[in-house]
Amino acid sequence: MKISKFLLSIFVLSILFVSCDDDDEPQLPKGDYENGIIISGEGTGASSPSITYVSDDFATVEHQIYNKVNSKEFGTYLQSVAFDNERAFIVTDNQNTITVVDRYTFEELGTITTDLATPRYMTVVDEKGYVTNWGTTGAYVAEIDLTSYTVLSKTTISFGPERIIADGGKLYVSHKGGYGTNNVISVIDIASKVVTEITVQDNPDELFIDNSGDLVVLSEGAVQYDASWSVIGNTIGAISKINTTTNTVDSEITFEEGVHPSLLASNGSDLYYAIGSKVFKMSSSDTALPTAEFIDTSAGYLYGMAVNNNNLFILDASFTAQSTMDIYSISSGAKTTSVAAPVAASKIYFN
Amino acid sequence: MSTVQILEWEGINNTQARRPAVTKKVSINKLSGEKVFKVKFKFSILFLIVSIQIFGQLDSVQQLEVVNLSGAKLKKYSKGYKVLTLSDSIIIKNTESFTNLLRFNSPIYLKEYGAGGTSSASFRGTSASNTAVVWNGININSLNNGQTGFNSLSVNLTDNIDVRSGGGSIEFGSGAIGGTVHLNNQLTFNTGLKNQIVSSVGSYNTFNNLYKFSYGSEKLAVKFGVSYNISDNDYEWLGTDLKNENGAFDNLSFNLSLAYKLSNFSKLSLYSSNYTGEREFSGTLPNPSAAKEKYKDYNLRNVVTYNYHKNQFSHTLKAAFLKQEYRYYIDKNSSSYNFGKSKRYIFKYDFNYKIAKNSSVETFSEYESAFGKTDQIEEKNRRQFSQSIIYTQGLSNLININAKIRKDFNSDYNVPLIFALGADIKTFKNILVRINGSKNYRVPTYNDLYWPGQGNEDLIPETSVQSEIGFVYNINNLKLDVGFFYIDSEDKIVWTPSGDPERPGIWVPINLDKTENKGIEFTADFNKNIKNHNFSFNLNYSYTIAKDKENDNYLTYVPKHLMNASLGYSFKRISAFYQHLFNGEVYTTTDNIDSYTVPYFNIGNVGADYKIIQKTNQEFSIGVKVNNVFNKEYVVLPSRPMPNRNLNININYKF
Repeated sequence: MKISKFLLSIFVLSILFVSCDDDDEPQLPKGDYENGIIISGEGTGASSPSITYVSDDFATVEHQIYNKVNSKEFGTYLQSVAFDNERAFIVTDNQNTITVVDRYTFEELGTITTDLATPRYMTVVDEKGYVTNWGTTGAYVAEIDLTSYTVLSKTTISFGPERIIADGGKLYVSHKGGYGTNNVISVIDIASKVVTEITVQDNPDELFIDNSGDLVVLSEGAVQYDASWSVIGNTIGAISKINTTTNTVDSEITFEEGVHPSLLASNGSDLYYAIGSKVFKMSSSDTALPTAEFIDTSAGYLYGMAVNNNNLFILDASFTAQSTMDIYSISSGAKTTSVAAPVAASKIYFN
Repeated sequence: MSTVQILEWEGINNTQARRPAVTKKVSINKLSGEKVFKVKFKFSILFLIVSIQIFGQLDSVQQLEVVNLSGAKLKKYSKGYKVLTLSDSIIIKNTESFTNLLRFNSPIYLKEYGAGGTSSASFRGTSASNTAVVWNGININSLNNGQTGFNSLSVNLTDNIDVRSGGGSIEFGSGAIGGTVHLNNQLTFNTGLKNQIVSSVGSYNTFNNLYKFSYGSEKLAVKFGVSYNISDNDYEWLGTDLKNENGAFDNLSFNLSLAYKLSNFSKLSLYSSNYTGEREFSGTLPNPSAAKEKYKDYNLRNVVTYNYHKNQFSHTLKAAFLKQEYRYYIDKNSSSYNFGKSKRYIFKYDFNYKIAKNSSVETFSEYESAFGKTDQIEEKNRRQFSQSIIYTQGLSNLININAKIRKDFNSDYNVPLIFALGADIKTFKNILVRINGSKNYRVPTYNDLYWPGQGNEDLIPETSVQSEIGFVYNINNLKLDVGFFYIDSEDKIVWTPSGDPERPGIWVPINLDKTENKGIEFTADFNKNIKNHNFSFNLNYSYTIAKDKENDNYLTYVPKHLMNASLGYSFKRISAFYQHLFNGEVYTTTDNIDSYTVPYFNIGNVGADYKIIQKTNQEFSIGVKVNNVFNKEYVVLPSRPMPNRNLNININYKF
């Protein structure tokens, strides 16, 4: 009896095992850093840039994951990270370098160190990377072959390019102006490399395509100085909606003079932006700005923001110590948890 | 979103305003520069290696025919303090880098952004702007950022360097909290004609050359020197297949010193120094080719002194003119640059009255008018008048005391009344006790006050109170000095993006931190001669605990342990040496996270010399030196590799 019971158990177990195997091929973990949040820190001259991994349940926090996996450090300053299905592309601007790693294990796969000049942001379309560069003699978008990691072409654009996104065979670049002020969005046809410019308010930074297919751009507005560097005025900030078929500004919600919004983030239906340490929320269909803030984060330096599901993530950056990532519930507006983030933490990505 | 701000108030004043609200051009006010390399050092019977002069010299120094008394005065007024002197033979043997000269021969921590890059010095865990560099009695720290770049200064033509740990250096117009580095040129009468040529050729196409001429008759003393250094400085980055692509430098300096005896009681003297340098700033891992920065600087310093000394009275009148200019190129291939310029006019009057054999009183009155501007800051004029009084008293040759007090009147802000007390007390059995206490300050710099959109005109000077007790044991060929120091600082000027609650995210300087530094400084010096075999050994070790009083965290970039040591051997015409540096681990973040550190490192240099000609009026020697002899991979700042093993061959001809 005992033996038969034992055999039966084995039989049942094996069926379970086999059926499991059949139905639901066990998903091998792709790496330690899957299913979590990637926070990048720019670093400072005194302490190196780094990347922190936070698991989706916020229970696991691991710092300097690139350093640990590769026994190496990034150069300054880690500006941004772009992704394709398997890889992460880490852009360090002063180093003219893009470090390619496996996005889930963070093992280094290669570096791109030529034909870049103060690279800022990258986007990936069909095995090619498109990187904005401030340039030394002129700004450009570098097209990179992501198999050979070489730059294939450079498309000259207006100065101070910042963010870049791709949609419908086109690249959209916000020209924040680098060290100065610019006010254009470049539209680059990927196939022909023909560039069209759209004028928006000064210092456009974050941009995304909303649910209705419009391009939404946040312009921060500029502070104006006289020759002796006294502030003599401000240009206005705005949230602009651009029709991507006609490349014209359809609507523009402007901010009061002297108010400089930043860090536009969206979950599709709502927009979030920051003014100082306060976060404001509006529906993407709203035609006027909210009158009161959504959250007063009281962050010492609100330096990065992202939205995902029901959570709002903000980075309270420190440049001399580890930063903090605060997580707010969007439904309640309350802070739910805080985790440590890299020195000079600036960007949040969902892995 | 915008890039980070690089605000490194510590190492450099690198205010990069890539901020959204305060954008425009970046303006970096990097300091310093030149190159680093090997330190060189030679031991021989004729040359003394490091003469550690722990105690003040006797007043009789003043009776010698030496004209510039800055060095002698420093010792006279450093009772209770440790002063370490680097003689010209050491300087001549370290022509490649001022940074390395200090790193291997003094208790100072040097923070260097890659070999030859921006380099700053700190004593006892205090910040770089708490270290003053004093040239022939005049504080030459930059008006713009309050520091001296230890790679943008050539000291090859300097006759000797005094390194004085601690505050209280009131008479040199310095409120320096950490300590002072004194560059002294000396003129001597009745020496006849002397020439010296020192030349070296080394790795990375490095050439260091200098020529010195001196003449001293009964009434006239003249010195002239020229020094030229050039290097590709493209050293290999160990552990990679990369090179230091952007590190080349060259610099040219001239020195002229003149003294003329007008009468038996009065002398007129002139010191002039001129420096022109150009350096590239090394890049960082992983891509040295991204580095394109270049820095040019120009310094002109002149001081004319009239001295009248008769009976108990001595009067000294000084007029100085100093000019500094730098140009910072973000891209060396482009012609655009950021700049800073300053001009300073200084008038000084010192009056000394010798009350009795063992006591004297001296007053120092100083007026300075300084003009500073950068491409970002309109020209500002700062005027300052200061009055100091120093009283010196000796008691039966057993106790020597200095009491000092100083008050400044400044057109920009209030400077506190400061004081210093120091005493050397001879006790039994060759042991001397030295004690000192002082109040010191550091003024806000032009950048702190006026940086466009960010400067804070409400800043007040940082202040500190400190004390030290030291024990000196001195017998025959052995000298030991151990000192225990304590420094309490407040209102430390810190740049932070949350400095102004009205403008979060805008980096502004505020008076914020309170810090406490304590530790031990130990120096040993030993010489032994056995049948023409001469052995020498010296060591500097410091143990420093520097903390932020608010949170009890360690301050960044302060090694707890720092040690350098030299071992020398000479026999007849041959000499050889080994020198070693241990630089302890430092934290790079204020929250002291273990993974944000720069690891400790050990490096060593070795060298040998042979004297081909050895006559009373002629000497010629040839030497070789290997730096980083163990080919150690190390960094002083993250991602900035330092040089691999490198070599130079040198000659030293005196005639």
